[in-house]
Amino acid sequence: MTDFAIEARQLVKMFPARPGTGDKKANGESATTPRRRRWPFARKEPKAMFTAVNGVDLQIERGEIFGLLGPNGAGKSTTIRMLCTLLEPTSGTAHVNGFDIVRQANDVRRSLGTLLAGERSIYWKLTGRENLEYFAALYHIPQAVAKQRVDELIERMELKDRANELVEKYSTGMRQRIAIAKALLARPPILLLDEPTLGLDPQAARNLRELIAQLKQEGHTILLTTHYMEEADQLSDRIGIIDTGKVIALDTPEGLKRRIDQKEIIRLELTGWHDEIAGKLKSIAGIENITTHQQGEADLWEVNMQAQNSRAALPRIVEHISGNGTRLVNMNIVKPSLEDVFIYLTGKALRD
Amino acid sequence: MESKIGVKSLAVPGFSADVQALWAVVRREWTIFIRYPSWIIALFIWPVIFPMGYILTARALSGIDGSGLTTFENTTGLTEYVGYIAVGTMIWMWQNIVLWAVGYSLRNEQMRGTLESNWLSPTWRFAYLLGSSIPQLASMFMLMLVSGLEYAFLFRVNFSGSLWLTLLVILAAIPSVYGLGFAFASVVITLKEANAFVFLVRGIVMVFCGITYPLAILPKWMQSVSQWLPQTYIIHAVRTAALSTEGFSGIAFDLKMLVIFGIIWLAFGYLLFNMMERRARQTGAIGQY
Repeated sequence: MTDFAIEARQLVKMFPARPGTGDKKANGESATTPRRRRWPFARKEPKAMFTAVNGVDLQIERGEIFGLLGPNGAGKSTTIRMLCTLLEPTSGTAHVNGFDIVRQANDVRRSLGTLLAGERSIYWKLTGRENLEYFAALYHIPQAVAKQRVDELIERMELKDRANELVEKYSTGMRQRIAIAKALLARPPILLLDEPTLGLDPQAARNLRELIAQLKQEGHTILLTTHYMEEADQLSDRIGIIDTGKVIALDTPEGLKRRIDQKEIIRLELTGWHDEIAGKLKSIAGIENITTHQQGEADLWEVNMQAQNSRAALPRIVEHISGNGTRLVNMNIVKPSLEDVFIYLTGKALRD
Repeated sequence: MESKIGVKSLAVPGFSADVQALWAVVRREWTIFIRYPSWIIALFIWPVIFPMGYILTARALSGIDGSGLTTFENTTGLTEYVGYIAVGTMIWMWQNIVLWAVGYSLRNEQMRGTLESNWLSPTWRFAYLLGSSIPQLASMFMLMLVSGLEYAFLFRVNFSGSLWLTLLVILAAIPSVYGLGFAFASVVITLKEANAFVFLVRGIVMVFCGITYPLAILPKWMQSVSQWLPQTYIIHAVRTAALSTEGFSGIAFDLKMLVIFGIIWLAFGYLLFNMMERRARQTGAIGQY
């Protein structure tokens, strides 16, 4: 039995590639397309495969919060789905609470509280209480204990007044709280929380982050995926960054930030942004990893870039963005954040 | 299940825990079922409306005074043509509803997004399918009871047979009807859409099993096909048990066939479900909408 809460070794997951969709291997290579059979009884060509997870190694200590970050399609959901036994790996092994995810799948399920698909993971035609009682039975909690545990969680999630209403009448935040209560029902040692604050208002998200921190204090191990860098930074003891199906960096948030300590982040706010400007900025020596996003509906853009020496680069930046209807509104040189580390490592923003 | 730093799971696995989980699925399904008020229409109105077209056609062909019924009587040995049609259409409705309700139960969960959260629990997975079939079976019993009463009191159908033998036939029919539903549910979860297959199966039952006519009027090759369909035996046995006074001897052969078909279909349904479950773990089909 392994000492880690979660341990994965060379975990690989391949899926048959859908024909005609231009599927790519996670490592960027195109998946091979099989030749067509000439007649119906000819021997089948092997299927083209798409590699979603390509040799992931993870060792998560008991009692830690581990953040798993990656852009869409990087393989983090597939990794999570393998760890919670919804998917079988193509090769490699993983243990959760010491149990093999393939051979001891039921023991793994008993060890885990999982939040996947958020508010869609509960029944909207049942009340909050009915949902929790139902899932308590599925998690094999004896009836008398279940009743007490459901009351306790309803109280903890501050849903006492609304517990007997149908979930369809709840707000997104309330539904998410029921989904989290569901994950906590059997008091599992390990929690897998996939995007727990997605779609929540800022106050609800803050409350949930506090709850996650409390759960760690209570001794739970938490594997967290999130699109919010600040959330990962604030909560995680360690962070794994996954891209193209591989863990490309794994360290504490501070350790990751130290990787680009020598770099500076130049943040511009401007109007009248053109894509050609990005090309011009990239041509400046020492400038790399330019990301842009539009702020709101107005023609206001935030442009971030990493620089070796901002003082040397600034005059040329100003020169390139002047004219052609582009106007500089604001400019800052900031300390690298976890988001910048992510961009540095993957070449893209987390929401790409 | 304990973590080394002291989080102790509340779960107590075992056989009784699995039974408790199965019962929870039954209660969940029943609660959701009665929260959609359309079930009242399904229960009281549909069983009368659906056979009405066939009954009126039969009445038109036999003459208002029923003079044309002699041929029907000679072929079937029964005079009660309204009851005859009502039984046939009821069995057809039963199989049809099972294909939609049980066949699509996992698929509906998948589209709602709740299938994954069920699948993440340590419960015996067949319990989800079995548990959602039990309330469906209970509602079907209610439907049969209500339509029986409606036909007896509104249409003066004379159910001269035995209620207990009728119940016995229905009991014997359950494994084949639901075995097909289980197999179908497993196919649907993989293919995502199988309306065409439902139409095909219910079309076959409608044509080959004699829901409104005796099999004797079919060509020989069609009669041979009928013998391979459990619904043929169900319809014949329920008609004999409910509308005639032949007693147990009249349904003994049908019961034997239903037990055989039941074993085959239940085993096939269970096998297919396990294959689907295994395949879904390899392909990720459970989480795909």
